[in-house]
Amino acid sequence: MLEGASLEVGKGQFVSLVGPSGSGKSSLLRVIMRLQQPLAGKVEAEFPQSEIGILFQDDALLPWRTARDNVALGLGFRGMERVQALRTADEWLARFGLEGFGDRYPRHLSGGQRKRVAIAQAMALKPKLLLMDEPFASLDAIVRARISQEVVEMVEREKIGVLLVTHDLEEAIALSDAVYLLSQGPRARITQRYNVPIPRPRDLVRARTHQAFAPLLEKLWADLSREVDMSPGAERAEKARAA
Amino acid sequence: MITNPKYAWLRQIAAFSILLLLWQAAGNAGWLNPLYMPTPLQIGAALAQLFGDGSIWTHMEATFTAALGGLALGILAGVILGIAAALIPVVAELVQPVMLLLNAIPRVILAPLFVIWLGIGIGSKIALAFILVAVVIFFNVFTGIRQVDRRLVERVITLGGTRWDLLRHVYLPSVAAWVLSNLKVAVGFAFTGAVVGEFVAASRGLGYLLSFAQSTYNAALMMALVLLIVAVVLVIFLVAGRLEKRLLRWN
Repeated sequence: MLEGASLEVGKGQFVSLVGPSGSGKSSLLRVIMRLQQPLAGKVEAEFPQSEIGILFQDDALLPWRTARDNVALGLGFRGMERVQALRTADEWLARFGLEGFGDRYPRHLSGGQRKRVAIAQAMALKPKLLLMDEPFASLDAIVRARISQEVVEMVEREKIGVLLVTHDLEEAIALSDAVYLLSQGPRARITQRYNVPIPRPRDLVRARTHQAFAPLLEKLWADLSREVDMSPGAERAEKARAA
Repeated sequence: MITNPKYAWLRQIAAFSILLLLWQAAGNAGWLNPLYMPTPLQIGAALAQLFGDGSIWTHMEATFTAALGGLALGILAGVILGIAAALIPVVAELVQPVMLLLNAIPRVILAPLFVIWLGIGIGSKIALAFILVAVVIFFNVFTGIRQVDRRLVERVITLGGTRWDLLRHVYLPSVAAWVLSNLKVAVGFAFTGAVVGEFVAASRGLGYLLSFAQSTYNAALMMALVLLIVAVVLVIFLVAGRLEKRLLRWN
């Protein structure tokens, strides 16, 4: 459970939200997308929800629609003519290296290809802000590295804002311009914003060897461990051990 | 060739032919009473006679009309009630107990009642096929919709889809998948309903012919009719299977 959050994601900025499980990272994204009501209070954003896209951990493509139809889906909801929506979908598929895969059903695509279709589906709507909830968690290491790099390049090119939720600190630093750290739940809150001084355009492999990477990772680890230790649950465990 | 799994069908045909030959031989030797156990040739002759004088077509037409009419109406009612019950709680409260009851009883016991209500014409047969099919389809659709993947629903919502979009892009395709994969069961039920309805009271149809064969102690005709009904249902299964494969090619 998360208690109050204020985040700033600039245009073309990649911002990550890391924190212990149960701190409400995913819930925050779901509340922003109106998939879930906040227990109290409300969401204030600078632009309408229709300009926010989301990428879930699962690709959740419609199994009975082809890759092309899946990408065109949101365009159709927004009233774009079908012929044009399909053409736009093909363009987005091509941008993610899926030229010629438009007629395939999700079942006949690999995990990485499905993920790319899901990204194209979200990006086709030209969101100003793209939320990502552990989007690469289900992919194997090599595909994960490649798609992460593609996403970074896409964000740099399209100049959109990204808010990534993850519990992988290294991934958060390598991808982001800024990292927010959430405290342990219940009653979690945003503790701090860490700026990542690694220049763009970024190569994810080289980003990890940048001189700023290791010190920042160490600091984030220390702060995160402190948060977990300070939690009421940890206190109770401590007392139990003493008694 | 004796053990090659590729030729299993050949071995099956060979075994079946041997069985038929033994059956025929036993009949020729006078070991079987033709009143109870006609030989394959006698059954074949009865079948040939049915088609020979053309009288079978009017009966086939009656049974097909009843079965396919009941099937169509049953699917329609099952889908509509199933969707309504899954999405509107009040409908579920009212419809579900009735459906559970209808599902629990052997629904063919309603056949005599339908004859009283709708007469010995085709109406009572359609009604029986309908009630057999509708209950099965209702439960398929009802559970199908409630098991629709939440993630797909959320995906459509976050892409800006309305309630109508959800129905069109998520719920209806899920329902279609469920109904199609149970189409064979429904076809079986539809023919059961039609034939049993005719068996109870009718002036036409394969079920009526069966009842006629029974009352005249004509075992050869009876077996010919059973064979015919099996063939008919197999053909429809084949069509249903192709339809399923074509429409569910994404699967």
